[in-house]
Amino acid sequence: MATADATTATNAGKITQIIGSTFDAEFPEDSLPEIYNALQIDETVKGVHIQVTGEVQQHLGGGRVRCVALGSTDGMVRAMRAVDTGKSVSVPVGKGTLGRVFNLLGDPIDGRGDVPHDERWPIHRDPPPLDTLSAKTEIFETGIKVVDLLTPFVRGGKAGLFGGAGLGKTVILTELIARIASAHGGYSVFAGVGERTREGNDLWLEMQETKIGTTDRSVIEQTCMVFGQMNEPPGARLRVALSALTMAEWFRETTGTDTLLFVDNIFRFSQAGSEVSALLGRMPSAVGYQPTLGTELGELQERITSTTDGAITSVQAVYVPADDPTDPAPATAFSHLDAFIYLERRISEKGIYPAIDPLASSSRILDPQYVGDRHYGVARRVQEILQRYRELQDIIAILGVDELSEDDKQVVHRARRIERFLSQPFLVAEVFTGKEGKITPLEDTVRSFEEICDGKWDHLPEAAFMYVGAIEEADEQARKMQSGD
Amino acid sequence: MAKARALVKRLKAVRNIRKITRTMELIATGRFKRAMDRATDAAAYTQKISEIVADLAGANLQFSHPLLQAHDDENNSILLVLCSNRGFCGGYNGGVLRRATARIREAGNIAVEISGKRGIKLLTVQKYELSETYTQFEDKPTFDEVNELATRYIDLYCRGELDRLDVAYMQFESSSRQKPVLETLLPIGSLGGDDEIASAERAVEYEFLPSGEEILEEIVPAAFRARLFKCFLDAAVSEQIFRMVAMKGATENADDMIGNLSQKYNRARQTQITSELSEIIGGAAALE
Repeated sequence: MATADATTATNAGKITQIIGSTFDAEFPEDSLPEIYNALQIDETVKGVHIQVTGEVQQHLGGGRVRCVALGSTDGMVRAMRAVDTGKSVSVPVGKGTLGRVFNLLGDPIDGRGDVPHDERWPIHRDPPPLDTLSAKTEIFETGIKVVDLLTPFVRGGKAGLFGGAGLGKTVILTELIARIASAHGGYSVFAGVGERTREGNDLWLEMQETKIGTTDRSVIEQTCMVFGQMNEPPGARLRVALSALTMAEWFRETTGTDTLLFVDNIFRFSQAGSEVSALLGRMPSAVGYQPTLGTELGELQERITSTTDGAITSVQAVYVPADDPTDPAPATAFSHLDAFIYLERRISEKGIYPAIDPLASSSRILDPQYVGDRHYGVARRVQEILQRYRELQDIIAILGVDELSEDDKQVVHRARRIERFLSQPFLVAEVFTGKEGKITPLEDTVRSFEEICDGKWDHLPEAAFMYVGAIEEADEQARKMQSGD
Repeated sequence: MAKARALVKRLKAVRNIRKITRTMELIATGRFKRAMDRATDAAAYTQKISEIVADLAGANLQFSHPLLQAHDDENNSILLVLCSNRGFCGGYNGGVLRRATARIREAGNIAVEISGKRGIKLLTVQKYELSETYTQFEDKPTFDEVNELATRYIDLYCRGELDRLDVAYMQFESSSRQKPVLETLLPIGSLGGDDEIASAERAVEYEFLPSGEEILEEIVPAAFRARLFKCFLDAAVSEQIFRMVAMKGATENADDMIGNLSQKYNRARQTQITSELSEIIGGAAALE
């Protein structure tokens, strides 16, 4: 290891303090490691081999630097030797990464040996400059009715899935992977940030089984995954998104193809930042978050973008603590996104999945200029009906439906059908629901909702609208229900 | 704080609704008492007149009144529907209209006359043809007003331009029991109804002066008028009862909702206070 020898010769320091997942190291004044440089600790203490990487965050003066540990600090002691690698953490990039699973340091964790690679890229990079950004706006069809109609995704854009605990963010994200990645020719990168390890494993196995389109190749062959899950220290969760993003950036810049980046869950990134923030001696800001919340997220989000070289289309899950979307973490993430999907507990309580709130969710391209007048008009009509229904709900709860005017009764009647029609069986949920997943083309979606708004299907019972694809299937389901009774 | 403020707004709205429903309940209670007195008074009169007609019928007179004779076909039928002018009365209009629409479907070609703005609106939306609408009957229908209608029906019937008259209304049985009914008032099948046997047993011997026919001539239309009037009175009482019950329910629902919202508001407020406090304490601690 020639490089290791070189760094040993040039720059090594001593650990002086360890607090939680941060530690301080002392270097000679004239050879301080730069901010974001990776420090390596590799020593055996009392028979236990300890190998930790740290990232320099602050220069404290007096030759001391404060670092965030990217691994567990268990067993670390003062006076250990910390070696400055002279550069920031870097990950292998290239086609060799496809089909593999990594941790944030770029080490494979799938037990399949070394990763062949020509290059390693540092995880800290500048966002693409203004003049290279791509300006085209195009709808990205998902085949999920509610998403395509009300919150159309942008090709090369960013979509966020906001929702409280247990509303099905991960399920929707997995569904999108199954729908998009299997139909998509380009590469996909998945970043597992601070979520359940089990889910990561499920996803990995599922990707091995899912085939791309009609070919014989599985999705995993076009995908690389990076995990820093719940069990990892905050430093790891703070940097894993960057590692995954760096790999995605290579695909964008080098291959020029459309790359998909899935992040589950971007909130854990902010949360990890907040966990180390106080340890780094920053004063907490609103609701206890780090004062640098906006900066941290901005640095990450600004890199997820489409350039003239290639596009990154990203879908990010965002946990909403206590179902409160005004919480600073989700509120900050919100401003970076093109399409915004909000999952609502009241809807999931009705048993309607995906539990997407049709009124709180929105998309930048739900605009007649991009989606066309017809689509836009139908989407707005659907929202109007549902909005009116929501306004009437208190009155219905107190006085009963009988007291509504005829017009309002009709609104309620249609709204209840629309609400149910927004549900859809998922490909990945086939085992739970026993219903075959439905991919509904955009054209069918728009037409179906238009017809419901026009009152063409008022005669069908509400239950017929649950978990179907296009409107004709609701009709069919109604007939089946009738003959069943 | 956004959440707490939204809750306060809703809470205010619900409180206002509760105020209204509570007032409506009290008003309905007052009106119900008056309407009920009128209905019971009229009931006594209708009862008596029915008895007399029954007695007359039992007297084996060789005379029949045109109103008593059924026509051969039912080409010209009228359905009179009694609804309310005002809303906030729960299933009152709905119940009556269900009865009425069932009759319309069954009869096919039938002229629908309807009283009450609510009923008019509901049927118009459902695209039913209404030949006549009345809105003058409030919670105190007067005999003169009803009499006008009755006279017209009698005329039509006697001239043969009306073959059958049905009234759909909410029958008042007791203050805890009302049911939507469809009654055929013309032709007058049996004016005495069930009382016929009872009165026959009483077997009071009447002496008719100047003659049974003349009395019949007078009393049959009067009995019809009385029965029609009774329908209106019943409808008025039932409406008030329905309103009372509906508003009581609404007030209770509003109370529940106020309870729920207050709890939610208090929780939101407390959460906010807690988070602000912890921020301040955390900030202070970080500065030390």
